[in-house]
Amino acid sequence: MAEPTSLSGLARDVWHQTTHTLSVARQTAHYLVRRPYDTAAIWANLYEVGVKSALFVVICLGFLGAIINLQGGFQATRIIGDASLIGGQIMPLVVRLLGPTLTGMMVATRVGTGIAAEIGSMVVTEQVDALRMNRAAPAEYLIKPRLIACVIMVPALTTLGITAAFLAGMLVAATGFGTNPNTYADFDLVTGYDLAEGMIKSLAYGIAIPIIAAAAGLRARGGSEGVGEATTQAVVAASLAVIVLDFTIGGVIFFLR
Amino acid sequence: MPSPTPSEPIIEFRGIHKAFGAKTVLDGVDLTLRAGEICFIIGKSGAGKSVLVKHLVGLLRPDAGTITFHGDDITDYTERDFYPLRHRCTYVFQHSTLFDSMTLAENVALPLRKHRGLSHPDSLTAAVDYLAKVDMQRHAARRPADIGDGLRKRVAIARALTLDPEVIIFDEPTTGLDPHSAVDVDRLIRALSDREGVTSLVVSHDLRSIFSIADRIVMLYQGRVRLDGPPAAFRTTDDPIVHQFVGGLPEGPMEL
Repeated sequence: MAEPTSLSGLARDVWHQTTHTLSVARQTAHYLVRRPYDTAAIWANLYEVGVKSALFVVICLGFLGAIINLQGGFQATRIIGDASLIGGQIMPLVVRLLGPTLTGMMVATRVGTGIAAEIGSMVVTEQVDALRMNRAAPAEYLIKPRLIACVIMVPALTTLGITAAFLAGMLVAATGFGTNPNTYADFDLVTGYDLAEGMIKSLAYGIAIPIIAAAAGLRARGGSEGVGEATTQAVVAASLAVIVLDFTIGGVIFFLR
Repeated sequence: MPSPTPSEPIIEFRGIHKAFGAKTVLDGVDLTLRAGEICFIIGKSGAGKSVLVKHLVGLLRPDAGTITFHGDDITDYTERDFYPLRHRCTYVFQHSTLFDSMTLAENVALPLRKHRGLSHPDSLTAAVDYLAKVDMQRHAARRPADIGDGLRKRVAIARALTLDPEVIIFDEPTTGLDPHSAVDVDRLIRALSDREGVTSLVVSHDLRSIFSIADRIVMLYQGRVRLDGPPAAFRTTDDPIVHQFVGGLPEGPMEL
């Protein structure tokens, strides 16, 4: 993958990457609805995506919950002298925006790079060609189990992350601003739309991240440099996709409310 | 296995062009391969040897030119169209490319399951028989990481044999092997041609191997065929480029 030297070259590259990624998505969708399902590979990927990311997500989202409650509490105390309703103000934002999107970003960096590096290494060592020679489509053998794992685990990690943000936020609000935990946990302001938006986003990220990362891996050329480039492409494109999907899904649900 | 008439052309590359970005690798390659012969493709690193042979099984697609197999134009085949052809033309990769997560028997059983539709137990039983053809049956339960390069290459050849192919593409089959293992692999390639009529397309730099088993040698240089002929033609040629390459001479007109 040579570096583009002009704006038109960059546009061509982006166009090529986009069409290639859509082609990989179409091939994966073809195999997704067809047997066989490699349960061993799916379990291994559920573990890799879910269990191995859980602590990372809990710590990051926990700190996020603590930070926004700390900052929000300062502001509320300074302006209206009362931080008792901080939970009801912040939690809708965490449920529909920060929880899914930050979890998506974390999965894009931790899992997306792993997928791109692994598949990229298989491409440059000709293992993907060996699969193709053995009538085993890369979309079926390499991408399908990872996609299934991400579709299940990204919403699960999002739920875990939101819970961590909620508990850490409640702890900060209670200890820092004297907010009653029962008042903090009043979810009247969290609507079904907020929950749906959060889950739809996490599901969309669970689909987009493995496809984008796998497509970047499949485009790897050359040796370790090509694998490194594919990994960088994967994290940039997957992070961008998370932001674009966040905006798009948020916008659609805003107009549907 | 079909038994084509000796010297019947089975594979034809016509005017093959292939570029990766701005770099042209193949610039109008013409090559005809005849049934049962052992044809070596030689040339310096980056000459496009592996690139050329990968076109035959659809692992790469040409930018221009045509490829025919038994007279059928396969240039525009889809990935799915190539499945039956990959049954008849198999590929032994440079680094063997055995799957580390599988035992040697499972590696050999994979094409039996995918191409022939054998059940898992049947494919494993058959795999051991194919491993026996390369004297590797006693290692069937081991994993690729537990054996050396020479043995891995044998297993890769056993995997290629499972489909009783007409054509086997060997990509640098003796590179990285000790001299004893390299001679073993050469003998195996020769025996496949002599006993089973397999056509072998071999990419190699190994001059000892080339001059000991080749029926024909094709040298690629600057994206084109520089010389195509029997080993004797390479020994007696006046072409200074070929002379430099075959003689392994550090000085000469060849662009490095």
